[in-house]
Amino acid sequence: MSARTPAAFTASFATPGAVVFGLFFVLPLAAVLMEAISDGGSAFGRVWNDPVFWVGLRGSIMLGIAAPFISLLIGVPVAITLARLSPRMRTSLLIAISLPLTFSGLIIAYGFILLLGRAGFVTLLLAELGFDPAVIGGFIFSPLGLGVAYSYYLVPRVVLIVLPAVRNFDMVQLRAARSLGAGPLRVLADVLVPQIMPSLVAAFCLTAAVAIGAYGTALALVGTQVNILPLLLYSKISETGTDLPSAAVISIVLMALCACVIAIGETFFSRSSSRR
Amino acid sequence: MLNLEQVSFQYPGAKAGVSDVTLKVEPGELVAVIGASGSGKTTLLNLLAGFLMPDTGRVVIDDKDVSAMPPERRDLGIVFQSYGLFPHMRAWENVAYPLKVRGVALAERRTRAIEALERVGMGNRSDNGPRELSGGQQQRVALARALVFEPRGLLLDEPLSALDANLRVEMRDEILRVQRAAGIAALLVTHDQEEALSIADRVAVMRDGRLVQIAPPRELYDNPADEAIARFVGEANLWPSRVVGEGSIETPVGRLACDTKGHATGTKTIALVRPENVIPLGPDATGQVNAFAGEVMADRFLGSTRRIDLAVGEGTIRLETRIRDAIGGVAIPPDAIRLLSPSQQAN
Repeated sequence: MSARTPAAFTASFATPGAVVFGLFFVLPLAAVLMEAISDGGSAFGRVWNDPVFWVGLRGSIMLGIAAPFISLLIGVPVAITLARLSPRMRTSLLIAISLPLTFSGLIIAYGFILLLGRAGFVTLLLAELGFDPAVIGGFIFSPLGLGVAYSYYLVPRVVLIVLPAVRNFDMVQLRAARSLGAGPLRVLADVLVPQIMPSLVAAFCLTAAVAIGAYGTALALVGTQVNILPLLLYSKISETGTDLPSAAVISIVLMALCACVIAIGETFFSRSSSRR
Repeated sequence: MLNLEQVSFQYPGAKAGVSDVTLKVEPGELVAVIGASGSGKTTLLNLLAGFLMPDTGRVVIDDKDVSAMPPERRDLGIVFQSYGLFPHMRAWENVAYPLKVRGVALAERRTRAIEALERVGMGNRSDNGPRELSGGQQQRVALARALVFEPRGLLLDEPLSALDANLRVEMRDEILRVQRAAGIAALLVTHDQEEALSIADRVAVMRDGRLVQIAPPRELYDNPADEAIARFVGEANLWPSRVVGEGSIETPVGRLACDTKGHATGTKTIALVRPENVIPLGPDATGQVNAFAGEVMADRFLGSTRRIDLAVGEGTIRLETRIRDAIGGVAIPPDAIRLLSPSQQAN
């Protein structure tokens, strides 16, 4: 038998993770920080005084609210339905629902363009019915349209987070509440929603962080027309007027934003799992 | 008053359900519904509660046809097997919930909820959450919640089966006491025939979706409608038998003298004798009617009684006795023998 103490032995399991964390998170983060202060901190002033940054921040926050909201609206009823199915049926559907998570953002963007773009299938179909193709076809390239496209791969995340909470929920409570005089909607509001609230908040925060940080789908869909921070960041490093210190500042802001949202979500989620 | 009138219901795509059930529960009365699992007893409760709608027939509560009404408008208190308490609300908030839904002001509903909790002995736990309460305590809170809004009936769905044996007996008396005090019609669904016999005014037996007998506990026990009911309710000796003449039947344990009124010679019947009616005899007792000597096959000590299986002739006689002496034979009083019609579903 090994003479090593169990503590040291288990600690060794964390080594690969620690190496990866150091190489691919701490190191780049340090590099970004260094980059941001490389020109004596003047990049912070440039970003602060740039109206485009503030518009982008506002756009990102709006997207970070709209996309999770739409995703929850779709995902929560799906989770409730899944919880009531037989285990075999549930597993099959979960596989299908999780599939979008494996698709690249670019593919999703092109899919949406093919469906809802200016010459998209649905757009042309609606045009036949008398809708203005310019309005329909333009929707997908707006911030709200971007929110809808994001929900495509945010809904599965919502379902995966909310489903365990709904499954833990004792459905007898719904019958009990009905027998006590509450109508179906009131039962949901008084009994189900308060109990799965932590997982709803967690799902909202996680999908918000993903929506705020994602850029592949946005770039493919709207180019740099819509002002959100990831696209602003992209333009700062790709276009002719490359400004790496400013890009570093923007990425710090972006990271801080996502970290805050994730922290809120995790706080709620760990509280909900420890209560059960 | 709870009233099912010729109610039939079939689950879509399944054979299970209930057919043509008529059952009336008077105010203040407690009717227990027993039956094997899948016999339709829970379906019956769900039809009354409004979780299921009958295919045909009517559900009437206090002279009002509620067949098409959703559960929330039926005004019935229901106690569930797994309690169904809301874990995010304290005990008193749980009890106050039906009052809240009915628009009762906060101060009043709190007072009434705490009064209801006091009636079930939970007045001092009103601020606890359900997770801080034991199973028995949760069931008391559920009972208070089901009665606080003065419902028109009380439905109890296997309310005691999640509790351990001692607590079950205690809660049984508690439920009966509270139901009597409220004076409302109550329907208890249970698979525990002892529970049903001990607290119900009448016991309804369900089999294959049909109501096969409804009678006060004593009558059900003494005069079951058929073999299967006799087997289901309590312990029983059941011997296939044939009437061989007036006042005489042939059974696997031998020829028995008994009342054969209404059964022609040659009729096949089932002879029922409850084990406690079998009289134990010493090794050398003789001269009694229906006396048999036999060999003890099993002798189980149950505390206050013994349950003994005696091999006699081609069959077995089971008896229950308080006597602790050795037993070599038994006598079966003729008036302890009931002749039942053989039932097709008997297993």
